[in-house]
Amino acid sequence: MTTQIGTDPVVREGSPAAGGGHPARSRRRRPLISYGYWWWALPAVLMVLLVHYAATSGGAFYAFTDWTGLGSFHFVGLDNFRRIFDDPTLLGSLKNTLLIAFGFLILTNVLGLLLALALNRTLKTRYLLRVLLFMPVVLSPLAVSYIWKFIFDYNGPINQLLGWVGLEAWQRPWLAEPGLALWAILTVMVWQTTGLVMVIYLAGLATVPPEIEEAGALDGAGTWGRFWHITAPSIRPSIAIAGALMLIQGLRVFDQVMALTNGGPGGATETLATQVYKETFALSNFGFGAALALTLTAIILIFSVLQQMATRDRS
Amino acid sequence: MFRYTKATLLREAVVWLAALVSLLPFYFLVSTALKPDDELLSTTSSAPPHAPTLANFTDVLATTGQNSILLALINSALITLGSIVGLVLFGSLAAYVLARSTRRWGTVTFYLFLVAIILPTQLGLIPLYIGARKLGLVGTPYGMIVLYIGTLMPLAVFLYAGFFRGLPRDYEEAAAIDGASPGRVFARVVLPLMAPATGTVAILTGLIVWNDFFTALIFLGGSDYQTLPVSMYYYVGSLVSAWNKIFAIVILSMIPILAFYLFAQKKFIQGFAGGIK
Amino acid sequence: MTKQSPGRLRRLGVLVAVPVLGALTLSACSTAGNDSGGNSGGGSGGETKSFSFVFPTATNSESPYETLAKKYTQETGVKIEVRKLPNDSYGTTLRTQLQGGNAPDLIVVAPGRGQEHAVLPLAEANLLEPLDDGSTAVVPKGSEGLFTLDDKTYAQPTDLVPVGMVWNTGAADKAGATFPADATGMLDLCRKLAGDGKSFIALAGSVPPNLGLMAMSISATRVYEQTPDWNKQRADGKVTFAQSQGWQDVLKTIDDMNKAGCFQKGAAGGGFDAITQGIVRGTSLGAFVPGGAAQEIMNNAKGVTLQIQAFPAAAGAKPYLLASPNYAMSINAKADAGQKAAAQEFLNWLAKPENAAQFTKIEGQVPIAGVEGAELAPQYEPVKSLLTSGDYAPLPNLEWPNPAVYDALAKGIQGMVAGRGDAQSVLAATDKAWDGK
Repeated sequence: MTTQIGTDPVVREGSPAAGGGHPARSRRRRPLISYGYWWWALPAVLMVLLVHYAATSGGAFYAFTDWTGLGSFHFVGLDNFRRIFDDPTLLGSLKNTLLIAFGFLILTNVLGLLLALALNRTLKTRYLLRVLLFMPVVLSPLAVSYIWKFIFDYNGPINQLLGWVGLEAWQRPWLAEPGLALWAILTVMVWQTTGLVMVIYLAGLATVPPEIEEAGALDGAGTWGRFWHITAPSIRPSIAIAGALMLIQGLRVFDQVMALTNGGPGGATETLATQVYKETFALSNFGFGAALALTLTAIILIFSVLQQMATRDRS
Repeated sequence: MFRYTKATLLREAVVWLAALVSLLPFYFLVSTALKPDDELLSTTSSAPPHAPTLANFTDVLATTGQNSILLALINSALITLGSIVGLVLFGSLAAYVLARSTRRWGTVTFYLFLVAIILPTQLGLIPLYIGARKLGLVGTPYGMIVLYIGTLMPLAVFLYAGFFRGLPRDYEEAAAIDGASPGRVFARVVLPLMAPATGTVAILTGLIVWNDFFTALIFLGGSDYQTLPVSMYYYVGSLVSAWNKIFAIVILSMIPILAFYLFAQKKFIQGFAGGIK
Repeated sequence: MTKQSPGRLRRLGVLVAVPVLGALTLSACSTAGNDSGGNSGGGSGGETKSFSFVFPTATNSESPYETLAKKYTQETGVKIEVRKLPNDSYGTTLRTQLQGGNAPDLIVVAPGRGQEHAVLPLAEANLLEPLDDGSTAVVPKGSEGLFTLDDKTYAQPTDLVPVGMVWNTGAADKAGATFPADATGMLDLCRKLAGDGKSFIALAGSVPPNLGLMAMSISATRVYEQTPDWNKQRADGKVTFAQSQGWQDVLKTIDDMNKAGCFQKGAAGGGFDAITQGIVRGTSLGAFVPGGAAQEIMNNAKGVTLQIQAFPAAAGAKPYLLASPNYAMSINAKADAGQKAAAQEFLNWLAKPENAAQFTKIEGQVPIAGVEGAELAPQYEPVKSLLTSGDYAPLPNLEWPNPAVYDALAKGIQGMVAGRGDAQSVLAATDKAWDGK
């Protein structure tokens, strides 16, 4: 098969003869064939409407009340939302949320992509390595909490290691210092999720047939050129997916923060998601928590839409 | 070009180094799981066990009754597999029509799913519980499967749609021209090409369902169909937790999911190479 | 071209519909008998009564509640369907089940308002059944506010939990230390121990409730010994945390302790393991955990002897202790009449001193009926006189209006121990949380 039946949109665009005469991307044109039937989507749509939208609206309604999670309540309109903007600790949480989210997005994608590229072909033990690198992803939050809390402990391995190499001055209670705790959390988050991003990129890379790369090599492209012109465009869907998912996950991270610091010390590592949980469940402020949750949703939505627009397939 | 060169060897070594560093925390997992009860509190967490024992594993596997770990393993496996099948089936169908649609409703529905990923579902917990109870879905594995399918559907559709977008229409057009119906096109042409996507969806959603604690607790806690994470939490005490037993369970729970991952990697993500001609 | 073979269509449609329908039908059928709310056995005909009972479990070994249920069934033949829930999210799960109408008949709750499974908010939401006079009689004098609403009792307390601090006598002997008589002696001991590489207290600095418990233990002698009704005064607005000399003393004591090295190195980041490992290994001599936890540690670590001590008062002040009913049982308002009656009978059985005593013995707590003539577990020896003479107050946070107050106090102290914030701002934040609602 020649490179023209390309999986590669770049190649497709460049070859005017390959049946791409009429711009198949024009949105208003009737498609050539019917791709499936619209009602195929029905079960999925129905389930999502029920489980997500109906149930969540039920709960979100309380954002406009002072419900504690039990018993009766009063309608308070937008009071809860006003409180959000008056509360200084929430500003700190917002800062933490954004910091973690973007750090997480960048680190996981860079590392995940590098690992996927390294493990895509040729290496003899690549399947074993893929499993090993995926293991952190599978670890239950309970174990993550215990192990990493121990690692960061004042008497734990990190400080012990620093002591051995004579860097005692660098020993710290890692999770108890406001400045460091956030980075510690980010480390654990990246450690636990990079394997997953790797899997997404591996799937994307799998759709690039080796023949294309060989053809590119034969045409004289160097490693970097091959990557940039052939591999990268093919994994654009993966970049879009991994980017979106990591952004969303980063913005609403909850498990790792709760597991490591519970938002401490003194609230220094609270994120919007942990505050939502605490207000809604632990502190019996369901109404306020719901308002907070809706605000967080709006923030994530804005970023997601921006991200979708940025990675939209423009070819 | 894909020969095994010295550079490749170097690459392999570097990745191995990365893997080993990344696996260091697991040393503590294993070492604690091998500790007998009396060493649990009396030694520090980094000290290896003086008298390593497999007793934790055998004890935990021998539990019976409501909290039986074996039973929980089976329940978890059942529920996870059922959820994956449902998600792959309905998710791929929905994502396919959405990704290929050129009309406005296609984009709108896609955003419906995207937004659903972001929605704060913890707010909907109580309405969902009441609704599920009315439908009789509480406390049974089938109900749980339906629930998980609903909860993770947006993610499945999003993943599938993303991959579908990158699939050029040539293959479907060729098959349609040959006289295949859309259903056949989908089943015989598109899905096999989408094997990496299916693998990814299966791995990601399977993982989430397998490790899910909170929803399983609320809907299945205390019933005869408890899943593994819930049964594991019974070992967490108010002050003293039986970490050695907990980690034994953790290790036991990692084995099936990693096996599934390996299977999905080989069969789906890499296995389809050169298949459609 | 688009030959829509109807066969394919139909096949696909069936493929979709069958599993969905099947799932719904199967689950509907299988939950017909499973739909709880206490219909297990039911009070029909009234021969074999039974009811369901839910409680949080401590560890996977048999819970004291389970042993209790077995005893009751042995004695009376009434079957009890036991439902255990993990400790960690007990409150949330219980609330969901109660609101969903799916909760068991007899439930373990917490007194007052402070926690998610606290009885008063549940009662206010009409989710609990008022109990009879037999249960009301069990409520200790002075603690009615924790269990009653509008003159109706909604929960029956099961035991008394002294809260001071836990002290490892064996480790203390090894370190050549005796329990300090007052705060000054304590600080001296702290410095001596720190010099030997040990610590007086093992603190779980990363777990706010541990810091909150420390504050409350100290407040026994600094606030509540002098002003037993301080909480009521605060509710009436007569005093505030920020202006209270007693509470300022509490925070100053914590600060002094921190500076004197009373807490272990890296306490600010420690978790519960710091406590259990430190106590068991003897590198720390004491910890702020409730009385029942001492039993839990001793059950898990042979050869360790723990005692409950009251936190040292300031030099020259009188000793005082915290002890309150921390666990109680309530009846689900939505249960069937037969189940409710069966559950109430169980509560009346439990109220009898000989039965209650057996339960508290297993748990390692103190009988709710008081200490007089009762067999007290050996770990309570040091505080026996305080308990007999009634020199104790209930845990302060049980009477506070909402969980945010305790949370603000605990978080503020956590910041202080880690070097952020000062006493005044912590107390002000606590006040704000109190008034905030």
